[in-house]
Amino acid sequence: MIDQPAVNVRGASMVFNAGTPGQVDALSEVEATVDRGEFVSLIGPSGCGKSTLLRLIANLIEPTSGSVEVNGKSAEQACADQDYGMAFQQSGLFDWRSVAKNIELPLELKGWDKAKRAARSQEMLDLVKLPDRGAHMPWQLSGGQQQRIAIARALASHPPLLLMDEPFGALDEMTREHMQAELLQICEVTNTTVVFVTHSIPEAVYLSDRVMIMSVSPGRIADVIDVGLGKNRDEGTRENDSFYKKITEVREALRGVELGDGARGIEDR
Amino acid sequence: MVTSKARSAVRRSVLFVAALGLVAVCWEVYKAVGPEAGGDIFGWRLIPKTNDRVMPHTWEMFAEMTRPAIGRGDQLVWQALLGYSWFTFQMSVAGLAVGTAIGVLLAVLMARFRIVERGLLPYVVLSQTIPLIALAPQVTAIRGSLDWPQWTSAVVLAAFLSFFPITVSTLRGLQAAPAASLELMASYAAGWWTTLRKLRFPAAIPYMVPGLKLAATAAVIGVIVTEITLGGLRGVGYATIDYSQKVTSQPASVYAAVFAAAALGLVMFAMIVGCETYVMRNRPQEERG
Repeated sequence: MIDQPAVNVRGASMVFNAGTPGQVDALSEVEATVDRGEFVSLIGPSGCGKSTLLRLIANLIEPTSGSVEVNGKSAEQACADQDYGMAFQQSGLFDWRSVAKNIELPLELKGWDKAKRAARSQEMLDLVKLPDRGAHMPWQLSGGQQQRIAIARALASHPPLLLMDEPFGALDEMTREHMQAELLQICEVTNTTVVFVTHSIPEAVYLSDRVMIMSVSPGRIADVIDVGLGKNRDEGTRENDSFYKKITEVREALRGVELGDGARGIEDR
Repeated sequence: MVTSKARSAVRRSVLFVAALGLVAVCWEVYKAVGPEAGGDIFGWRLIPKTNDRVMPHTWEMFAEMTRPAIGRGDQLVWQALLGYSWFTFQMSVAGLAVGTAIGVLLAVLMARFRIVERGLLPYVVLSQTIPLIALAPQVTAIRGSLDWPQWTSAVVLAAFLSFFPITVSTLRGLQAAPAASLELMASYAAGWWTTLRKLRFPAAIPYMVPGLKLAATAAVIGVIVTEITLGGLRGVGYATIDYSQKVTSQPASVYAAVFAAAALGLVMFAMIVGCETYVMRNRPQEERG
């Protein structure tokens, strides 16, 4: 059990609108493994299926063929067992719940009692450095603070795996860099495995142990780049030559993917 | 923030009274300068008469309130109207409650099962094209056969009018939960009922409030029409008919009943606004009405 990878995707294909003129081969025979404690980013041109792959892992959709395992279980079982937390580009906090109650939502669904829930939400608020915001309503917080609460909610039940779909996409550059550093710290402290979908090359390089480059039509993992910037990344890392080299490497890999497949860098979302 | 809210509430009430006063002034000005016998525009009879039978003075309408109510012992008209209004109010609240329960239930069923929405929604819309007056005798016949008290007819018909805006607005609200929030609940492996309770229903509330406001006034209309159609129920509707029969001798009296009906509608509306303020207290400003 301990040796099982956190995520194990085997030959997963995803076809939407099969057999119609609008057929989309979102993913084709994708093979991917994420080890425990690893931080892996999925990057690629729009329409490469990176969000689709994340949704497969989260069991929000089922693959047309192939298999997805999370911690050695089927994706369905992992979902039922709440083995992962999710965060999206929109924080998706519920307007009618206080910040603390938002963090407690997954715990409530798991049937935790009130005192235990309150204790954990305070713990999570401390973790994301918003210790005194529990009684606030989400709409009273800034975009960056809302996103931190969304991360706190995703981690509240201590899932071993965190699935993130462009969680910092809507934030301004400064807040974004700040959040990236904090996310790394949080994952370090909680020993969480992360699968992270992003559009941003520097974000992927700064955060990840490995960057998976995805190609479009068919959507598949074209290249995997080991970043190897080490565990102790800080603001200084962003100034390092090795950081720039990795950015160049990822950019060239991405360019290769786009040229190889007819240069489809179209933004469709 | 609280002070600005209070200030706007005061301003609204002042505006409300001012608008009412303006109508009264227009009424009196026209009565003073308009032709006593009415008039024609391009041969069309468009200018109403201004005599006291057609257009009693506004102060006569209020003075009417303090006259003794005929056939009500030593009660004055306003006291009698208050009694009538209380009856209609109770019926309306009961009708609104039943209508809301049915409306929400239908909306939940329709949101849950697409096929129910497809099959039922046209009939829900169709139901509102039936004139209440045509329905009242049927309801009474069924009520009689069940041996229910007479006032239940009013409740049923009020519910019949009020469930519609509730169904439509609740359904819309239940379908309004953002896709990302639904995915979040799916990622928690939450079932349909849990998602309804934790997400869809709370997300629907801002949509339900306007529906509830419409339903509240519809319920009052339902009760009043029932009273007028069926007889035997002593509420504001009955008073309107009763007083309009005295229109020759006491032309202002019918207005007294109309005011009572209008005031009742306002009270119902205010009640909903009160509920709204309470349930929406923690919502972002742009979602509040």
